Amino acid sequence: MNTKRVNWWAIFWGILAILYFFLPMYGTLDFSLRMKRGEISLMAYEIVFSDPRFWEGFRYSTIMALITIAVSALIFVPTVYWMHLKVPQARPLVELVTILPFIIPPIVYVFGLIRTFSRPPLQLTRTPFTTDILIVTGYVVISMPYMFRAVDAGMRAIDVRSLTEAAQSLGSNWFQVLAYVIIPNLRIAILSGALICFATVMGELILASFLVRPALGPYMALLGLTKAYEPAALAIISYALTWFSLGLIQLVSRGGTAQQLTGR
Amino acid sequence: MTHLELIHIHKSFGSTVAVEDFNLSVRQGEFVSFLGPSGCGKTTTLRMIAGFELPSSGTIMLDGKDLTYTPPNKRNVGMVFQSYALFPHMTVAQNVGYGLKIAGQSKSQIAARVEEMLSLIQMEAFANRYPHQLSGGQQQRVALARALAIRPKVLLLDEPLSALDAKIRLELRQEIRRIQQQLGITTVYVTHDQEEALSLSDRIVVMNQGKIEQIGTPTEIYNEPATEFVAQFVGYINLLPVKVVTPSEGVVRLGNQLIRAGRFGHLNDKPVRLAVRPEELKSGFAEGANNLSGRVESVTYLGSIIRIRMEVEGHLLTLDMFNERRFTVPKAGESLSVHFPIEACWLL
Repeated sequence: MNTKRVNWWAIFWGILAILYFFLPMYGTLDFSLRMKRGEISLMAYEIVFSDPRFWEGFRYSTIMALITIAVSALIFVPTVYWMHLKVPQARPLVELVTILPFIIPPIVYVFGLIRTFSRPPLQLTRTPFTTDILIVTGYVVISMPYMFRAVDAGMRAIDVRSLTEAAQSLGSNWFQVLAYVIIPNLRIAILSGALICFATVMGELILASFLVRPALGPYMALLGLTKAYEPAALAIISYALTWFSLGLIQLVSRGGTAQQLTGR
Repeated sequence: MTHLELIHIHKSFGSTVAVEDFNLSVRQGEFVSFLGPSGCGKTTTLRMIAGFELPSSGTIMLDGKDLTYTPPNKRNVGMVFQSYALFPHMTVAQNVGYGLKIAGQSKSQIAARVEEMLSLIQMEAFANRYPHQLSGGQQQRVALARALAIRPKVLLLDEPLSALDAKIRLELRQEIRRIQQQLGITTVYVTHDQEEALSLSDRIVVMNQGKIEQIGTPTEIYNEPATEFVAQFVGYINLLPVKVVTPSEGVVRLGNQLIRAGRFGHLNDKPVRLAVRPEELKSGFAEGANNLSGRVESVTYLGSIIRIRMEVEGHLLTLDMFNERRFTVPKAGESLSVHFPIEACWLL
């Protein structure tokens, strides 16, 4: 006989949490499908997908996200590696720095960026290209907590010191240690960080708005001011993008178990 | 001929002295073990040979060349780690061939050498497995093959058997010695396990608190310990406080019982201790030997050995006897006489 007691409170809170999350989403989805009076249709989605500004924003944000991921990986993989290997005592300080984007409101950060880089000696807001450089650096900072934590978790799962020393004793220089030993063992961690980075950049509004760049975030905000059904469709598309990214993380994470990572 | 030489090596971490005035010459093909308790500086010394730590002062010479400040990847020194440190994303064959790939060898050369190394460790069938698909013992054998594949001048092993269970440890210990002798490679082995050091080594360096206590063959270390630390650390030993009676003849007194030591230095009025191994003591009385009598405190069965603790003149004395059926094992509380040869005891 099964004597296991049912925890009704757990079920209650679980259902409440699901309703809290899914009900607004269902409402948005339902609303986005009712553009044609009296029938369910994908009209709002058709309008969004046929709008060249959507594709421009999507393309721009995708390119910026990919550059952000590359820059973040180039900065954080060697930095976190060095911290693990040489200065583990610096971890509290590094962790504090990486959560600053959560503490400082983005609007304050953007004004700081604009004030600093819209005047000499380093005037980056003069041309679209240099503004894009500025926006990428901004995105790198905003996505820093996610990338740092993903890479850090990956490093913790492997014996960084022993692997480094083993590779060195076999003749590897620092570049070879990173390229052939450390990074291949971090690929899942880097990919996880990259996908969260991607989702963050794709939905970012404040930086792109104030730096006047054609990103997806400002387009969504602008659409919300003038239209009713299309922003709902865009919100669902944005959700889908985020969930697709999370799904990909799950998929690739399954490929590498903790056993494979630690080698024990 | 000296192959590896450590000259006046000193290493400090801040105000903590890890290694102090370490001097050692290792011959080509010799197997030398660093033996000592945790924190005695043995691993630090090994890491200095590997290049992972820089000595605060002193020189490391290999084949007559100063290696002190050469980076680890330029030393051609093979290293085996306690944690195996196999590359998790590579197969056994890729792990073994990694160093050769870094050295720029051709695929055919790498394949041939990998095959040779896997045959050496008798793991040809495991070439395509990943480290997580191997047992601890198998992983360590692969780590050994990987370190040897690059034909290092010196092989360094940092407590390679510590993470393994007793049976595997024993098997792998014999395998390490077989491979070392087969290849004739100069080997430095770090361990805190005296049995490992005694069974594997040509010479043992016993270390304590960053200093060398004694360098010698396993027999010298066990039978003629130079210091009280070595005597106590390597094997079990009885140390009894005695009073000198005849300094010139090494005659001492334990309570009312006289003992003659086989080895003794210059004796003065300072307190001395008589050292004798438990296995040197035999029950019963013997003419011409040292004889002591006391009362049995406890009897412990250790399988092939029976350990008897007896009280002699207010001090505990341990004797080990083989668990042979013909012996009558004394019981706690009984009186017991023991004897041991004069040459089997010495004064510290």
